Amino acid sequence: MSGEQRFKYVGTRPIRHDGLDKVTGRANYGADFTLPGLLHGHIVRSPHAHARILAIDTSAAAGMPGVMAVITGDDIPKTTARLMMGEGGFDLGDMGDNLLAHDKVLYQGHAVAAVAATSPELARAAAEAVAVHYEVLTPVMTIDQALAAGAPILHDGLTTKGQPAAGVPTSPTNVAMRMELKRGDVDKGFAESDIVVERTFTTPMVHQGYIEPHACVARHGEDGQIVVWTSTQGHFNVRDCSAGILGIDAAKIKVIPSEIGGGFGGKIPVYLEPVAIALSRKAHRPVKLVMSREDVFRASGPTSGTKVRMKLGAKQDGTLVAASASLYYEAGAYKGSPAGAGAMCAIAAYRIPNFFIEAYDIVVNRPKVAAYRAPGSPSSTFATESLIDEIARRLNMDALDLRLKNAATEGDQAPYGPKFGPIGLREVLAAAKAHPHWTAPLGANQGRGVAVGFWFNAGMNSSATVSVNTDGSATVVAGNPDIGGTRVAQALMVSEELGVPVERVRPSVADTDSIGFSDLTGGSRVCYATGMAVIEAARDAREQLKARAAKMWGTDAAHVGWDDGTAIPLNGAGDRTPLTVNEIAAKLAHTGGPVIGRATVNPPMAGPGFGLNICDLEVDKETGVSRVVRYTCIQDVGKAIHPSYVEGQMQGGASQGIGWALNEEYIYDREGHLENPGFLDYRMPVASDLPMIDTVLVEVPNPLHPYGVRGVGEVPIVPPLAAVANAMRDATGVRFTDLPLSPPRVLEALATD
Amino acid sequence: MQTTRYEAPATVADAVRLIQADPDARLFAGGTDLLVQYRMGVHRPSAFIDLKRIPELVGIAVDARGLRLGAATAAAVITEHREVSRLWPGLVEAVHLVGSTQIQGRGTIGGNLCNGSPAADTTAPLIVNRARCVIVGPEGERIVNAEDFVIAPGATVLQRGEMLVAVLIPRPAGRTADAYLRLIPRSEMDIAVAGAAVSVTLDAAGVCTAARVAIAAVAPRPLLVPDAAQALIGSTLDDESLRRAAAAASAAATPIDDKRGTVAYRRQVVGVLTRRAASMAGARAGAQK
Amino acid sequence: MATIYFSSGLAPYTGGVESLAVDAARVGDLLRIVLERFPALREPLEIMAIAVDGEIHQHADYIPLTSGSEVHLVPRIAGGHR
Repeated sequence: MSGEQRFKYVGTRPIRHDGLDKVTGRANYGADFTLPGLLHGHIVRSPHAHARILAIDTSAAAGMPGVMAVITGDDIPKTTARLMMGEGGFDLGDMGDNLLAHDKVLYQGHAVAAVAATSPELARAAAEAVAVHYEVLTPVMTIDQALAAGAPILHDGLTTKGQPAAGVPTSPTNVAMRMELKRGDVDKGFAESDIVVERTFTTPMVHQGYIEPHACVARHGEDGQIVVWTSTQGHFNVRDCSAGILGIDAAKIKVIPSEIGGGFGGKIPVYLEPVAIALSRKAHRPVKLVMSREDVFRASGPTSGTKVRMKLGAKQDGTLVAASASLYYEAGAYKGSPAGAGAMCAIAAYRIPNFFIEAYDIVVNRPKVAAYRAPGSPSSTFATESLIDEIARRLNMDALDLRLKNAATEGDQAPYGPKFGPIGLREVLAAAKAHPHWTAPLGANQGRGVAVGFWFNAGMNSSATVSVNTDGSATVVAGNPDIGGTRVAQALMVSEELGVPVERVRPSVADTDSIGFSDLTGGSRVCYATGMAVIEAARDAREQLKARAAKMWGTDAAHVGWDDGTAIPLNGAGDRTPLTVNEIAAKLAHTGGPVIGRATVNPPMAGPGFGLNICDLEVDKETGVSRVVRYTCIQDVGKAIHPSYVEGQMQGGASQGIGWALNEEYIYDREGHLENPGFLDYRMPVASDLPMIDTVLVEVPNPLHPYGVRGVGEVPIVPPLAAVANAMRDATGVRFTDLPLSPPRVLEALATD
Repeated sequence: MQTTRYEAPATVADAVRLIQADPDARLFAGGTDLLVQYRMGVHRPSAFIDLKRIPELVGIAVDARGLRLGAATAAAVITEHREVSRLWPGLVEAVHLVGSTQIQGRGTIGGNLCNGSPAADTTAPLIVNRARCVIVGPEGERIVNAEDFVIAPGATVLQRGEMLVAVLIPRPAGRTADAYLRLIPRSEMDIAVAGAAVSVTLDAAGVCTAARVAIAAVAPRPLLVPDAAQALIGSTLDDESLRRAAAAASAAATPIDDKRGTVAYRRQVVGVLTRRAASMAGARAGAQK
Repeated sequence: MATIYFSSGLAPYTGGVESLAVDAARVGDLLRIVLERFPALREPLEIMAIAVDGEIHQHADYIPLTSGSEVHLVPRIAGGHR
């Protein structure tokens, strides 16, 4: 059993291999790359939120000296292809239409044309010379506007997929999908409840806020061979999306990933690469495209604004008996919000025998949403955990005891169907009860809130190779851009398997030609799935090293054992002297040539993760300004390979969640113009806004991983929304149901309470 | 395509000649707003005229009459000045609130004023400290009081060919102190939703004999509020007079609804800030001998 | 015999049948039998992944079934990138 494993390297905290370059500014990110003859691209973007494109006149721009190419939607083929990815998939037609609009623009900032010129200034001037004639249409900016009778329709061909609601037209519609989750008899459940709480919650559209804007360089050769350098969460994904959209073979494209300055899900879709390829094809020179911060806010993929109506019923002793919920999630300009995931996560932490949950995916004239850490779960969990807090208050029960009483555990059937394997929710709740934070005294105007959160954690395809060098050092190569310290984690796994010290292992992220297919970095999957491939590849290399030792000893490989980097003789090998990795490696040329271990995996999605946050908030009741004064994150991480980066994931997720709760939001005017496309007025927390965030790692091993790893990157953003709002309730006596808890909103609520 | 020149005159006269000759040129000191706006394409000046090479625009002088701040003096230079921090703690707090540590290394006191922002952090404390702005133009020098310098959002009294050279602040009387408070949703890196500066003078018995109150981000320009000052003068800065000063500040405010705050919110909060700043200034003045 | 459960609000497509015991060697075989019986399931199935004994698979067709296997239809995690 994994829990009893003893580790020598796993669980230690070495300096990451990419650390020095990053803290000294030497690391190369997307916009750092350059080539001889490089052209600079600029994208023409729609000033309107919803409009029909009547005509685009590119002649003036194309005629400017130094302008080498101008393209429009006509240069991006319309396709109906889809690309499977993990549990979801991409509609390449929508993605292509998002790259350069074909018939309509669907949000302010939607790309309509692109130019390439010999300087960035010239490219910008040429972009301004592109004349686009629009027929401006009424924008659909909110869920309520999209659902209203007679609402303007974004896509004439859109129909409601999944399980459409009875009696509601499925076409024309702005509802792209509806789904249901059901169990038991929800009406009976509420009838049997002693206490029923029901409220409507809203969360705003928010952005991941990664520091590095999207950037890439593409070179299209006259022979049709293409190379792309880009900042992405998945370079294979960039390759396959670009190939699918442009109708060319994947083998024609090589994608080389740069270091990545944050993604959180937002660097999964392609926004620039196929456009840069198309410009380069036309200009016969390499083309660079870099988004401005404003472009990032207006035209990359934030996450959904949501509306959640939820109702919970409980017995007097705190036993939950019924839940019902209606989830409405904005998809942005094209179908595909995380409403379904929101539904599946909403009550996953609890055993509730009767429930009915419906979820709607709704298109609006905002940028198409992308993934954002545990996509869908924070918003529905905000509703659930706020109502759980309310039940605890009404029943005068300890908030942790109420959760413990109802907590899901191994063998319970998850709301989305299958039974849970070993999960750590109860252990997390117990750790919270035992933590000094839970019982620490509060100061004046302070309140404490607690909330739990759930996320699935993905599996998906990964490849890895492990090479042993003749000096006994090792190289591990995988295909996942390193966002959260995965390279050092992979090196630790190789160290563990081969007994080679971690500083003698070089971890590397290879381009699409240099490693087998690897799904993107996301879904909290890299340490789990790619880690599994790395461990298997290292074990493969170890078996080869044992065979070489056998050759050196002149025995059978079956007679060679392995202990901490040393081949040891087993019965049948007599009293041969053990051979270290160094000794075996030095003789590789004599024993058959290089040793390369390899593995590819596609493990099931598994290892569900639960986390809990405790938040202390201090509120200035005269101004509505609040400040987080103490914050603790507790999470079942399965097994922490490099604890510092696991803690970093938890602290980072909490910080983003706190920002979402307190100040972040997309602010649009009535015409659908984004009013805060920059960090000044899109208020993410700055370092001085937050206290040191405490972390507690709970380790309930995941039986599907050789070391017990669970995904850890997404769960941390799920609890904060409700933890902060529950703390606000504790401090002020007011239950807030609409985020963000910005000072004007708080002060207004305190005045009317 | 248009290019932008860079000029670095060595004297005020040269700088004045350059801007007079070229109305599309822009003066710049720290560049913390101007260069950002330039890169965003907000404006495309024919030239940037860098003022940091002009000796009389850079530096701090304190004497018996008071303080002279060269217009292109960086914020960080001011916040590190002990004597200025002792005599005008509220002004220095305001300077220390602008942007971030990095921005304070570049951004200047004159730049903050010449932006003409209703929300500028340093303008209200300059107003309550009776600051005078030294302006030089083709016609020579003129002096304008700080409360009259900004006339509308983004607009100042500076005429074509004119530039701000220095800010003069008289030395405060005994038992006089200032304070500045602003409200932002974050702890830094933000622009005031509302701000209030107060300067008070106390007599030996703790009675306020003189006061000035200015508010920021709640009107088209930073505003001197004589009614709020009147509420304080003659009082011991007791709760009732503080409450009346707060009410006067709220009444004087004519804020707008925007992404940073609502009318009602700004009006209410500027009163709270005025009360708190007055109380702080009073405590500081009272602590003096 | 493996059992497939239609508990996720799929009852309207199965005429109210909530589970079905099917003799099938692999998930793909099981789904073929189920779709023959409930053709209306074809469209909702497009947004479903397959969980076999608690493990959610992206590509389940060749997953072997044993006697007593529990198969659930689980909505796919669109994750904002459908």
